Amino acid sequence: MIKMKVWLAAAVGAACLSSTAIADVSIEDIVADQASGDDIVSYGLGPRGQRYSPLTTLNKGNVKNLFPVWSFSFGGEKQRGQESQPLIKDGVMYVTGSYSRMWAVDIRTGEEIWQYDARLPEGILPCCDVVNRGAAILGDKVFFGTLDAKIVALNAKTGKVVWRKTIGDYQAGYSYTAAPLIVPTEAHGPLIVTGNSGGEFGIVGEVQARNPETGELVWSRPTIEGHMGTLNGADSTMTGKKNESWPGDLWQNGGGAPWLGGTYDPDTKLVFFGTGNPAPWNSHLRPGDNKWTSARIAIDPEDGKIAWGFQTTPHDGWDYDGVNEFISFDMEKDGETIKAGASADRNGFFYVLDRTNGEFVSAAPFVQNITWAEGIDENGRPLYVDDNRPGNPVESADGKKGKSIFAIPSFLGGKNWMPMAYSQDTKLFYIPSNEWGMDIWNEPVTYKKGAAFLGAGFTIKPIFDDYIGSLKALDPVSGEVKWEYRNKAPLWGGVLTTAGGLVFTGTPEGYLKAFDAETGEELWKFQTGTGIVSSPITWEQDGEQWVAITTGWGGAVPLWGGEVAKFVSYLNQGGSVWTFKIPESLASK
Amino acid sequence: MNRTQIKIITKAALGILLCLAITSIAEARPLDDVVDSGEITIFVYSDYAPYSYEQDGKAVGIDVDIAKELANALGVELKLLMRGADENLDDDLRINIWKGDLIHRKVADVMMHVPVDYEVDNRNEFAVIMGGYFQETVAVIFNKDVIPEVKTFGRFVSQQIGVELDTGYDFFLSSAFRGQLLQSVRRGRTFKDAVALYADGEVPALLASRAQTEWVATQTPGLNSSVVQPPMPGMVRLGWPIGISVKHDSRDLGYELTDVLSELQNSGKLAAIYKQYGVTYLPPIIE
Repeated sequence: MIKMKVWLAAAVGAACLSSTAIADVSIEDIVADQASGDDIVSYGLGPRGQRYSPLTTLNKGNVKNLFPVWSFSFGGEKQRGQESQPLIKDGVMYVTGSYSRMWAVDIRTGEEIWQYDARLPEGILPCCDVVNRGAAILGDKVFFGTLDAKIVALNAKTGKVVWRKTIGDYQAGYSYTAAPLIVPTEAHGPLIVTGNSGGEFGIVGEVQARNPETGELVWSRPTIEGHMGTLNGADSTMTGKKNESWPGDLWQNGGGAPWLGGTYDPDTKLVFFGTGNPAPWNSHLRPGDNKWTSARIAIDPEDGKIAWGFQTTPHDGWDYDGVNEFISFDMEKDGETIKAGASADRNGFFYVLDRTNGEFVSAAPFVQNITWAEGIDENGRPLYVDDNRPGNPVESADGKKGKSIFAIPSFLGGKNWMPMAYSQDTKLFYIPSNEWGMDIWNEPVTYKKGAAFLGAGFTIKPIFDDYIGSLKALDPVSGEVKWEYRNKAPLWGGVLTTAGGLVFTGTPEGYLKAFDAETGEELWKFQTGTGIVSSPITWEQDGEQWVAITTGWGGAVPLWGGEVAKFVSYLNQGGSVWTFKIPESLASK
Repeated sequence: MNRTQIKIITKAALGILLCLAITSIAEARPLDDVVDSGEITIFVYSDYAPYSYEQDGKAVGIDVDIAKELANALGVELKLLMRGADENLDDDLRINIWKGDLIHRKVADVMMHVPVDYEVDNRNEFAVIMGGYFQETVAVIFNKDVIPEVKTFGRFVSQQIGVELDTGYDFFLSSAFRGQLLQSVRRGRTFKDAVALYADGEVPALLASRAQTEWVATQTPGLNSSVVQPPMPGMVRLGWPIGISVKHDSRDLGYELTDVLSELQNSGKLAAIYKQYGVTYLPPIIE
C-alpha cells in the first residue's frame, strides 16, 4: 500500500515538473562549466576544480548587500557533517547530504521537488563520519556515491533510480563519499569516474570509469603497485612493478585509497587523483616508497593507464593521507607559461608540478613550524627529519610507554579534504589550512580482534593559543603567503573565488564569510546557525547573482579532536542549504 | 491525491518503525531491564572461527554457544549482534557497548571475547570488563610432511608462514627479528583466507591463537599437522584471559553473567563447548 502511494507521488511529481523546461546536460556543458555563470554542472565549478566564477555582479562594493533568500532543511534525525557542494541546472538545485541522501530543490521557491534516501545496510562502519561531498550530472541523470560503496544514477526529474552499481564491498571495508567526476573520451564517449574509500587495513585504492548510461565498468586502475588494471572487461596493464617499493605481499593490501575524487584538465586530457596513506600504519613494517600511496597520479581516461605519478610523502609514517585535489592552471614564471597544476598537501607543503608530465616545479610550506621534514629537495622529495618519524612500537616491547614525538602538521593535515580555490584574476591560490600538530607515542599493549599487540597513541594539539584555522592567499610563483585570515576553530570547508574580487569560505562557528581577494579584508559575514564544513557556490539566476552553501557541523574534527575539542565542543549540529542573493535594487549600490 | 499528504503518511509509518527499533536495541541495559524485556543482545565478532562465524547462513562457534548459555541462564531470548572488528579493542567497546555505530547506533548488552586487561578497562570509562572465561595463547600449526619440526621462528626465514592480515600475529611476524621474516609472511585478508592458504598447501605453517590452530587441525584432516608454541621473542603477550564487557551502568548484568560463566566453568560445560570445536579448554588466569 505504501509502495503504491510513493509511486503515485513520484508520478505526480514528474507530471508537475515536465511543464518547466529542463534541458539535458551535455559533456560540452561540463567541460565548459567554468565559463558559464548560469549553471553549475560539475564539482569544483569546472572540471579543473579551480572554484573560480567569472561572475562580477556581486563584488567588493556591494557584497554588504548580500541577503539570505531561503534555507532548506535536510530534516529528520540525521544530521552530522554536511560537506556537499550543490549543483545548479535550469532553476533546480541538486544537493546531497549526510547518510547518503539527495534532494532536488526548486531554486525560485526553495521547495523540495524530490528526495532520495539510500537504504544503508547494517554492518557498515565508516571510519570518518557519514558525509557526502556532492553529485555529478549528465544528460537526464544525476549521480552520487553512497556510504555502502555504491554509485547510483537517478532520473534528474523524478529522483527515481536508473541504475545502481558497486564500487567496492562495504563488508570488506570499502565506502564512498566523494563527488563523481564526468570526463569526455574519444574511445568511449563521456565516462563517470570515481575513486574509493575505506578506513580498514586490507583495502586497495582504485579509480573506476563507467558508462554513465548503463553504469557498466569501462576501465579500472588500482593505485598500488603490482595490481592489474582492466579495460573493457579484460586485464589491461599492471600498476607499476610488483614489489618494486613494497616488501613481501604487503602490496596486496596497501591502502592508497583515492577517496576525495578527481579533477580533469581538458587541455592535457588527463584525469588527476590524489591517493591516501599506505597500510599498515607502522611505517617500519613496510620499508620502501610504497607507491602510489600519498601521491598525485595522472590517468589517461581513454584506457585507464597511469600517465605519471608524483609522491608527496614517500614511505609515509605520519598518516599524511595525500588525497588532496590537483588543480590545473597556467603559471607565468620567468617569462614562460608553464602548464602547471597545484596541490596543497596534507603534509603541509604546497606543490606545483608540470601537469603534462608530473615533473616537480616547486614546493613551499603553507603552514607554520613543519617538523617532519626540513623542506623539499630539487627533485620534489622530502628532506625527512628522522627523529620525527613515529617510532616502531615493537621496540618498546618492555611494555613501557615508548618514544614520543611531536609532529607538525597533525595527521588531519595542513589541509584536509576541503578544496582550495584559484583566481584567474589575482593568480593566487586560497588555501583553507590548519595550524596543528600531534603527539605520537608507542602504547604499551592493546588488542585487535581479541589478540594483543603494541600499538601507537596519538593526540592532536593546537600550535597557537588563539587559533587553528588559517585561510591563506598563496602566490604559486614565489610560494609566498600574501594574506592570511585566522579563525579560532579549525577550517573544514572549501573556498570559492570570483571575478568580482571576492573569496568566500565558511567556518565551524557558523559564519559564511566574504573577503577581499587582494587584501584579505573581511567584507561580509552571515551566521547560519550551525558549523560550515562545505564548499560555497555562486551562479546567475534570472539576472541576479546567487550564492549557496550547505551547513551542518561534523566531519573528522569532532571524531578525532584531541585537545582541539575545546575549540569546537560547543558547536551544534545541523543540516540545511542556505541561499543568498543581492536584490537587483541593491546590486549597484 | 495530494502529494504532501502522501509523504506525511509514509514518513509517519517510518517514524513508528524507527521508535520501535530504538526502544529495543539502542541502549545497553541493566539486568532488570534485560530480563523484563525478555531478550538480550550479545555481540560476537564476525569471521572469527572457531569463536564466532557463519556456517550455512547460521551463526556458530564457541562464543555463540556460550552466548546461548548466558541467555538461557537469564531465561531470555538471545539476539546476536555480529559484526567485524575495528582498529582496536577500544574502538570495538565504543561501537558495540557504549556509543554504537555511526549509522544505525546499534549496541549490544554484552560483548563476548574481550581480553581482560586492567589498562584497557581503565582507559574505557563507559565500558566494564569482567567475567574471564578462557585463557588465550599463541601457537603455530605446521604440516610435518613439509617441515620436519618448528623449534624456533628461524625456520621461517626460508619457509613461508600464513597469518590473518592486520592482527597481533601479523604485526609480530612483520616486525620479528628486525624484519627478517618480511619476505616469508603470506597474509590472508580474513582468517578464512589464511586457513585456505594452509589447507591448500600454499604455506606449510600458520600463526594464530592456539584455539584457532587446534580448530584448523580439525578442518584439515588430510594434513599431517602439529600445533607447537616455540619461543616468540618480541611477541608482546604470550597469553591473556578472555572475558566479557558490559556498559558502565549495567554492572549488575555483568556480575550476574560472571556468576553464570563460573558455573559453566565449574560444571565442565565450558570445556565441553570448546571440545566440540576441537579446542582444549584452558581456564582464565586472572592476575
